[in-house]
Amino acid sequence: MQRSKLGQIGIYTAVIVTVVLLLFPIYWMTITALSPANQLRSFPPVFFPEEPQWGVFSELLATQPFALWLKNTILIAVATMILALSVSILAAYALSRYRLRGGATIGMFILTSKMLPATLLVIPFFAIFKQMGLVGSLWSVVITQSTLIVPFCTWMLKGYFDTIPEELEHAALVDGCSPFATIFRIVLPVAAPGLAATALYAFVISWSDFLFARTFLQTSESQWTLNMGIAALKGEYITDWNVIMAASLMASIPILLVFLVLERFLVGGLASGAEK
Amino acid sequence: MTHLTETTILTKPKGPRMIDFSAPRHRKKFGYLLLAPAVILMALIIVYPILLSVDISFQDVRIARVGASDKPWTLDNYRWLFASHEFWRACWVTAKMVVFVGGTALVIGLATALLVNQKFKGRALARLFVALPWAVPEVVATVIWAWMLDSSFGVVNWALLRLGIISEAIQFSQNSTAAFFAVCVVMIWKGYPLMTIMLLAGLQSIPEEQYQAAKVDGASVWQRFWYVTVPNLAPVMGVTLIMTTLWVFRDFAIIHVLTGGGPLGATTTLSIMTFEQSFSYFRMGQGAAVGVVTMLICAFISRALVSRFASKSH
Repeated sequence: MQRSKLGQIGIYTAVIVTVVLLLFPIYWMTITALSPANQLRSFPPVFFPEEPQWGVFSELLATQPFALWLKNTILIAVATMILALSVSILAAYALSRYRLRGGATIGMFILTSKMLPATLLVIPFFAIFKQMGLVGSLWSVVITQSTLIVPFCTWMLKGYFDTIPEELEHAALVDGCSPFATIFRIVLPVAAPGLAATALYAFVISWSDFLFARTFLQTSESQWTLNMGIAALKGEYITDWNVIMAASLMASIPILLVFLVLERFLVGGLASGAEK
Repeated sequence: MTHLTETTILTKPKGPRMIDFSAPRHRKKFGYLLLAPAVILMALIIVYPILLSVDISFQDVRIARVGASDKPWTLDNYRWLFASHEFWRACWVTAKMVVFVGGTALVIGLATALLVNQKFKGRALARLFVALPWAVPEVVATVIWAWMLDSSFGVVNWALLRLGIISEAIQFSQNSTAAFFAVCVVMIWKGYPLMTIMLLAGLQSIPEEQYQAAKVDGASVWQRFWYVTVPNLAPVMGVTLIMTTLWVFRDFAIIHVLTGGGPLGATTTLSIMTFEQSFSYFRMGQGAAVGVVTMLICAFISRALVSRFASKSH
């Protein structure tokens, strides 16, 4: 279909206007972080600051326990990823290869975890963790995040396993490879891209969590995560928006990078909760 | 691969006492064995807490403990709930938010999906860009908007004043209506990319022949949109709307960080109310009652999702 020149220009204009409007908040975060503090209290706002103030990042690191928040966030994300994947790989493989009655049940879990009000879930967990002495421990967040991430990873991985032809495994089994070894030697290497995508997804979900950390870690400041730190900065009486935006920018960059890698997997991943 | 098979043939021990999972009659057992850790974990961290929360909702407790209460179940929390003005206001706020956020996100999502579905150079990049807010963590999205909506130096107030839409700056934190819309704006910004991504996938799966046929029949662009695109997209739209609805119901971070549920409960949804009762006032029995009712409402909404998919896939 050939489009007229005028139509082309129209489309480009529409695309540029849309992208500028929709991404303006991200631009504004970046610009604010790099603006001098006094400039932010001026009207009209400065849209193109002349000299970026890189000093804000060292100010952030010096005045806030940013490194600690970052460390806690990473620890939680990595632990959750490992826990969720080790369980989900096995379950997803079973669901993909064997006609089990559990298939519908796992689908139900995914839906349940999506519809379950998370603020309700934290009440019994608070009682449980109180009893186990886990309130204030990073593990409390790892465990509660798994309620979302395990069903999600299982479903996403099942989707990938479904796309891998079974013939390879049959051949391995006929050759005497044990079913367990078949999974690790034959299936997982082939499913590596899917595994990576799923792991990154788990990472994104974990990184973005606020509620679980807010509920179980609020009283122990040494265990705070990035999101908690940023929320606390916003709540302070004197708000240094350039520092908050610098923290926000640093907290978003890992996720934005992951997003660039994941974008082509997005549809499968986001739809996973919907597809049963 | 050949290397692998040769060595395994030679070295595989045939343990007589072990169950040989490669034997056809044991195949299913192996499947269940693989499934077991996930099922046990889900039972422990989803099923048990749900049962416990229902239990708590029937107890007159301030700070819940596991198995500590020997008092009989009471309906007090639910009686309080249905008699309280706060609960009905939270229902109303949630309903308004679901409708407004869902509707607007759908419109923006559909518009952007249609736009980046056009053929033009740099389309891949445009697709990446329109979906980008999806990747911004909710708390970060919220503080960015909190800054943009700042009553003294916020860029939004500046723009609205400049355009002559308002004559004095809006106090987003003090005005109930403004606070409600501020929360909605953040939710829409975070929520529309899901719509875009899913609807774009839906658009790409519409067979080109349908458009060609409509064109041959002399259908205008608008008619093609209305009679080919919309019916084909309807199932995806339905599913995404329900997913967005459940997300608005569940959301905590955006509202808690932006307004804290205020001013005067104007942004207190059921989810915020559950948290507030339990962790601000430490009335976990009442909080759990709010949460259980919310869960039932969400379960009802999800049923629509399940039945839709059951009818679609089989």
